Amino acid sequence: MPEGDGYDYKIEAKAYTASSSGASVSPAESPDQELYHSKSWWTTYVFSQDAKYIGIQYFCAATAIAVLGLVLSVLMRVQLAYPGLNVLDPSTYYQAITMHGMIMVIFFLTALFLGGFGNFLIPLMCGARDMVFPYVNMMSFWIFLLSLLVLVASYLVPGGPTGAGWTLYPPQVITAGTPGNLWGLVLMLVSIVLFVVGFTMGGLNYVITVLQARTRGMTLMRMPLSVWGIFVATIIALLAFPALLVGGLMLLLDTVLGTSFYMPAIIATSNFGNEVSTEGGSPLLFQHLFWFFGHPEVYIVALPAFGIVSDLISVHARRNIFGYRMMVWAIIAIAALSFIVWAHHMYIAGFTPWFGFFFASTTLMIAIPTGIKMYNWLLTLWRGNIRFTVPMLFALAFFITFLNGGLTGMFMGNVGTDIALSDTYFVVAHFHFTIGIAPVLVVFGAVYHWFPLATGRMLDEGLGKIHFWITFVGAYMIYFPMHYQGLQGVPRRYFEMYNSSQASSSGLNEFITIVTIVVALSQLIFFYNIINSARAGKKAKKNPWDANSLEWQTPEMPPKHGNWGRTLPVVYRWPYDFNVPGASKDYIPQNVSPSQVRGAKAERT
Amino acid sequence: MNIFVVILFLAVVVGTVLFHILSPWWFTPLASNWSSIDNAILITFWVTGFVFVALGLFLVYCLWKYQYKKNRKVEYKPENKSLEAILVVVSAIGVIALLAPGLSVWNDYIKVPKGAAKVEVLSYQWGWNFRLPGEDGALGKTSIHNITDDNPYGLDLNDPNGKDDLLVQDADLHLQVGVDVEFLLRSIDVLHNFYVPEFRAKMDMVPGMITFYWFTPTKTGEYEILCAELCGTGHYAMLGTVVVEEESDYSNWLAQQTSFEQILAQNKIKNKTIQLAEK
Amino acid sequence: MNRSTLPKGWDGFAHDWAADQKVFKGMSWGKAMMWIFLLSDTFIFSCLLISLLTGRASTAVSWPDASVVFGLEVFGVSVPLLLIAIMTFVLISSSGTMAIAVKYGYEKNRKLCTIFLLLTALCGAAFVSMQAFEWTKLIVHEGVSPWGNPFGAEQFGAFFFMITGFHGTHVTIGVIFLLIMARKVWRGDFDSGRRGYFTTMKSDYLAIEIMGLYWHFVDLVWVFIFAFFYLW
Repeated sequence: MPEGDGYDYKIEAKAYTASSSGASVSPAESPDQELYHSKSWWTTYVFSQDAKYIGIQYFCAATAIAVLGLVLSVLMRVQLAYPGLNVLDPSTYYQAITMHGMIMVIFFLTALFLGGFGNFLIPLMCGARDMVFPYVNMMSFWIFLLSLLVLVASYLVPGGPTGAGWTLYPPQVITAGTPGNLWGLVLMLVSIVLFVVGFTMGGLNYVITVLQARTRGMTLMRMPLSVWGIFVATIIALLAFPALLVGGLMLLLDTVLGTSFYMPAIIATSNFGNEVSTEGGSPLLFQHLFWFFGHPEVYIVALPAFGIVSDLISVHARRNIFGYRMMVWAIIAIAALSFIVWAHHMYIAGFTPWFGFFFASTTLMIAIPTGIKMYNWLLTLWRGNIRFTVPMLFALAFFITFLNGGLTGMFMGNVGTDIALSDTYFVVAHFHFTIGIAPVLVVFGAVYHWFPLATGRMLDEGLGKIHFWITFVGAYMIYFPMHYQGLQGVPRRYFEMYNSSQASSSGLNEFITIVTIVVALSQLIFFYNIINSARAGKKAKKNPWDANSLEWQTPEMPPKHGNWGRTLPVVYRWPYDFNVPGASKDYIPQNVSPSQVRGAKAERT
Repeated sequence: MNIFVVILFLAVVVGTVLFHILSPWWFTPLASNWSSIDNAILITFWVTGFVFVALGLFLVYCLWKYQYKKNRKVEYKPENKSLEAILVVVSAIGVIALLAPGLSVWNDYIKVPKGAAKVEVLSYQWGWNFRLPGEDGALGKTSIHNITDDNPYGLDLNDPNGKDDLLVQDADLHLQVGVDVEFLLRSIDVLHNFYVPEFRAKMDMVPGMITFYWFTPTKTGEYEILCAELCGTGHYAMLGTVVVEEESDYSNWLAQQTSFEQILAQNKIKNKTIQLAEK
Repeated sequence: MNRSTLPKGWDGFAHDWAADQKVFKGMSWGKAMMWIFLLSDTFIFSCLLISLLTGRASTAVSWPDASVVFGLEVFGVSVPLLLIAIMTFVLISSSGTMAIAVKYGYEKNRKLCTIFLLLTALCGAAFVSMQAFEWTKLIVHEGVSPWGNPFGAEQFGAFFFMITGFHGTHVTIGVIFLLIMARKVWRGDFDSGRRGYFTTMKSDYLAIEIMGLYWHFVDLVWVFIFAFFYLW
């Protein structure tokens, strides 16, 4: 045990029962990690090889690009509600939807959850000193940053960024009717390839650190669910990104060399103003490759959010997570299923109709493990002792948002109902609830939760609550009504909002835009809170939330390079021993041995 | 202060349901045989709505009942296998209840009834053309390589079935009410999607392929055709109209359409004139 | 956990996996990383080859006959698949020399280890050179390009150059690393504990085995590419 963590070990008279396991400590299997010791300011703060720094660098870079994504979305909403203002023309509008989608899904959320939280949390929560390959880990961030620069550079090249939608469907993405069909597309694809390369470098680190570099006593089934979520998401990403890489590579060749991987014979003019002379390619091939990546991508974003929110709920409800093993198996089941459902994005894409039955069945099956997770979060709150802290508020907001978004997934995933709803605003509402708003709410919750660990200071709770109310209520009011526009048949990706002669939704449209502006502006509160609190926030005490997981048990807070001082911690229990009967406090950290809490009737984990 | 949070989540759950019930934004009136799609959506609304309300209200109950109190007794129970098993089974039943209507709709959707009238939809950036079989009821073969200014549909000149095909070179299609229609969807450039909200049905049009779907228009009237697959900067303006009318009106409209043979003849005259003018 | 105390069946499997500290007992971080990387890389090549299959199935023109395209004339006699047979032989042999290099690495026999590493690199370089020769022949003399060819479907050239190019890049990277390894072994870095230039980390002869994993993988992939392009 580190000294001075304020934990009071009262040894009670009751005899220690053998049901609390981990009494014996086995010798370390791998020798202690050799760390890179920085020698200059540059290698400490810029080219840092410390996973915690790299995590924060990832966080800052991803958040910065997300601001661009947010600004683009506000511009689009203004265009839709007030076309008279002419803030965008069709080309810039379609470029905005493309960049917004690509930025938010890949460069913001994927990078933030895996690169940001993965780097920051995995070594600390597993009891490792650092990632296993710090140099490769550092390269991962710099290649990611390069990919961001390439992406943003597409605003500077002739024609601007590509405007084919983030799905980049050929032949449209290559033909002249789409803006940015040459340089913008090339830069987009190069940026994606760089991202995949950079991510693979980081991803190998996260996976091997979890698999091979845990501290003594840390079995897989004692890992916090945050680590489980990030770990499984990384594995999915390592197996799904290859499809994007290959798909993107072939698209690049179609664009630059004029090959016909995806291009059938068509009547259209290409970049060079010539008729495209292509023959025999299959546009559906790209869609299959894209969605073989694209659907797992949804879970690459969702699983870390699931994991983190499990920890937030358990810690702030002061109760063990309910059905931990089911939660782990649900994560694994969702991950496995996510590879055999991709064609539900293509029900009406014109493929062999018989696939519809298979993919609808596998898709709806995902509802079962996802449902388990929803029930278990509720059952964790039930008979708990709920603290309404800011992280908890965001976790609860995530629950209700994801519940709604998950249930509308039953409309989209089912082939019969999808016929009417696909490509309408119903889809927009559904996926913004599930992989837009819900994960972002978790990000906010996680930032409020772990900010003290990163900086040693608390975020301001009052500002946090204001931020929570505006963001949650606002986001719900933006996206929930959109489902009903979808029912009306309003198609998505329309530069001018379609108004059916049968039914109009223009009032709703303006309402959504106004709320969007308010929510977007309210994020300034968040940024102000971060900057101000990092400088002059209330000093955090050690383990401010009374959590059990290892990241709060470091000798110093914030943890120093190498995390653990002289010796690695030894783990005796799972991270969810809250309110164990017979214990003197309502939490028992993972590295507290059974002999230190005699009488606590913790279950064997 | 905690009570405000409880009220907030209660308001979200109740508000969601109230919005659903009171929403003036809803399906456009159905004009095809696909009431089964609407019904499947309604069944899904009932099942998912029940789950949403049940879980949402349980959440609100927990928030209200188990607010932080210093000496509250908290249950410590990592697992409850029988409860978890029951929840799995219940979820599975719910999934099957949703899947069944969905799959049965799809089964109907992909089986075109025999004797359905054929209509070819030809899409391009950014507009719609149509082709109807003539007297013989069969559409002539086409190839994208045959497409020229004189032969905008790329019909095979050697295929006798194509001669009497009626070419509607206008984004204005008429259909006869109550008659099954099979749409054969072609695109000459990029992906498009032939979508009429009132008919509920839609399908992508892929260059190099002929995709299809079918329905029976059940209500006369004029409806708007939308493109539902992003197809470039003109995507939002790729609109057309489809008019569903009684047999007599439909026959009138049909009589005004020109066949491929007539168009070829016109072109011949036109080309001769041009040649003469050039001389 | 002791093997004898593990529960039977799947339960035991799960227990073993989830056990303390390491999932793969006794496996170094670097080796584990290479395995996971190769798993990811397998998905890349699978995507390429599955794309080839679907692309080939949907072409408008018929697929060229491989034995005609890849025939080589030797002294006036046309021998189908001659060059490719030599290339395959060279690459497969290099797997053998790589295995021997790993063996000598474990025996800390620096001299023989270096020699076999260099032999492996030589085979790899020969393979890439022959591939360059084949590409030149196809492009310059037979008019095969990624966007068209005289033998049939244009996707043939597109897939051929993309997939063999992607594999050739793997071989080239492998050759570069083999040369770096050979230098390190020759200089005795693994014995003296000399630190890497970029990573500033020490390394040992395990690095040769990890290199070997990569090299065998690249060979294995070639077998599939060979089967899909040349034999069918």
